[in-house]
Amino acid sequence: MARLLGPLLVSPALIIILLLFMLPLAASVIGAFEVEAAYGLGNFTKAYDFSTQDIVFTAVIVGLSALLTGLLAIAIGGYLTLGENPTAVAILRWLYRWPMFIPFIVVGQILRTFLAKSGLLNSTLIALGLIDPLSATSYLDWRGVVIAFVWKQTPFVALMVAGAMASLDRGTIEAARNLGASRLRILVEIIVPQVTTTLLVGLVLSFVTMMGVLSVPLMINAQAPTMITADIAFRLSTYRDYGVANALGLISLAISGVAAWFYLRVNMRQGR
Amino acid sequence: MNKLLLNSTVALAILASPAAAAELTVITAGDQNMVDYINDYLAPLFEQQNPGNTVRAVGTGPGDAGSQKILERFDAQAKADAATWDTDVAIVHEKFAGPMVQAGYLEAYRDKIATGKLVTRANADNALGTDVKGYVMPMFNSQTAVAYNPALVPNPPRSYAEIAEWAKAHPGQFGYNGIKGGASGVSFVMGWVYAFSGSDAQKLMYGPFDKAEEANWDDAFAGLKEFTKSATLTPGNAGTLDLLSRGEIALGPVWVDMFYSWQADGRLPPELKLVLPAPGMPGQPMHYVIPAKAPNKELAEKFVELATSPKVQAEGIVKKFNWYPGIDADKVKAELDDATWNKLFVDITPADLAEKGKPFPLAPYNTAILEAYEAKVAN
Repeated sequence: MARLLGPLLVSPALIIILLLFMLPLAASVIGAFEVEAAYGLGNFTKAYDFSTQDIVFTAVIVGLSALLTGLLAIAIGGYLTLGENPTAVAILRWLYRWPMFIPFIVVGQILRTFLAKSGLLNSTLIALGLIDPLSATSYLDWRGVVIAFVWKQTPFVALMVAGAMASLDRGTIEAARNLGASRLRILVEIIVPQVTTTLLVGLVLSFVTMMGVLSVPLMINAQAPTMITADIAFRLSTYRDYGVANALGLISLAISGVAAWFYLRVNMRQGR
Repeated sequence: MNKLLLNSTVALAILASPAAAAELTVITAGDQNMVDYINDYLAPLFEQQNPGNTVRAVGTGPGDAGSQKILERFDAQAKADAATWDTDVAIVHEKFAGPMVQAGYLEAYRDKIATGKLVTRANADNALGTDVKGYVMPMFNSQTAVAYNPALVPNPPRSYAEIAEWAKAHPGQFGYNGIKGGASGVSFVMGWVYAFSGSDAQKLMYGPFDKAEEANWDDAFAGLKEFTKSATLTPGNAGTLDLLSRGEIALGPVWVDMFYSWQADGRLPPELKLVLPAPGMPGQPMHYVIPAKAPNKELAEKFVELATSPKVQAEGIVKKFNWYPGIDADKVKAELDDATWNKLFVDITPADLAEKGKPFPLAPYNTAILEAYEAKVAN
């Protein structure tokens, strides 16, 4: 009786996952290969014809954003751990988490007015005499998307990394400092190697999150080249073209899969 | 006396009661101005004339995507074999009227309403190659044109060839919204194909459809790809107007009605002007359709009758929202003073419209051109 109770208790959750997640996933994977009632690669050829540039763009943009996010997170975590001015540390600790509570769509909205050709950023630079009005350009292209992603994801990764750094054995840091190592050297050679796993988890999660964001590319850079999400939305809403949309979805799943595989590999090597 | 009063009260109550319960659902594709038109103007008027009834307006979003959602809604209800549908009146883009008629979703109501015979334009009988006569009533006709800022461009280019040349000389100063952000960009692309492709524009507009024509477009798209490199891509119809108003671009395709409305609201500088470049740009009507299984069919017909009456077309469509009328223009003109009427034709004269106002290509050409754009220009 008790033996039956376990699976019985798990079954509602399991059924929900199967019905609401696995089934639609399978349907869309199968849908990606369906071409007018037969199976084939037609949708992928179309996706390739229409969106190669966007696929490459997405991978590069998200990769670059993850890289910058990682660097900034290390910098923030490092200062929180090694900073010597308690006021500065307190201010940073208070400030850096804010973007986490702001939804992507709002980030897009803010950056649209901030980064436009006649937006706040350019106006400030012009007022400071750093650029002249004629050479002002709009940043609402790939740069805008990267800025939005990095700004939004850095606190999340920094939170994880700073936590991991705080739980390190202070002894190693003190020892290095006693031997005369600079703070930068301590960060790069002592601290970062010990928090790599946490950093990678944060970055892989960020990568996957960024792969799925629709609002930011739609608001900042809805045009060629744009991100796969915007293409999927366009194919569905304008053409009701589920085949190509599914194919594009599968392609972005594959890109995320590469990140996950990379993470697992590193993780297993460390576990050994 | 008392009895008479009682009787007439009862009679009134009987007459009024079935109508009192009705809520008319009107769903519309298009930008926010479409929903505003229903909510701010047409619905209050209808409710006032038909006391007790209410109108509920639902917007499904701009561009083809908005009409696509309405079509999907109808598809779903047809598949579910619903006895009555959830929509009384729908307002759709021209391209979607044909598929809806072919699928048998619509009621042929034009001959049943008094304003049906005021329809004069051919695009109410044939929607991009499909016979829709009787099933649709045009709400308005709209036109795209190129807006420009005379302060930056005193002598605007007046043809597609001149636009191409101008954009090359002024990188980033021409802005359009591609094909993913609303129909003004789509219209610009169609006009480009009319102007530069090896196909006969007449055949693209009026048929017959021949898949082999696609082979004639390569040069036009190669040119457009080159052109787009020196252009600014805007996020949508409103995005183009927005960038124009801030002087970030100097030239860009827009919907004429949106342009005038924004100008009237003070959202665009009053100096901006319009030009309709040769050989022409497409425009399109939006159509009122009534599903064959609409829950309040009679009331829906009454609603469209009101919406297409000369008075409403004059007051609402022309005066308040700056669209070109959907019904016979002469009947509408008679309801307006000359100053209001002429406001529609400040920059683009009736002669311009007759010569350079084109229809969109036939639906299959339309789709083929958009796909070719995605593959050859956007990718």
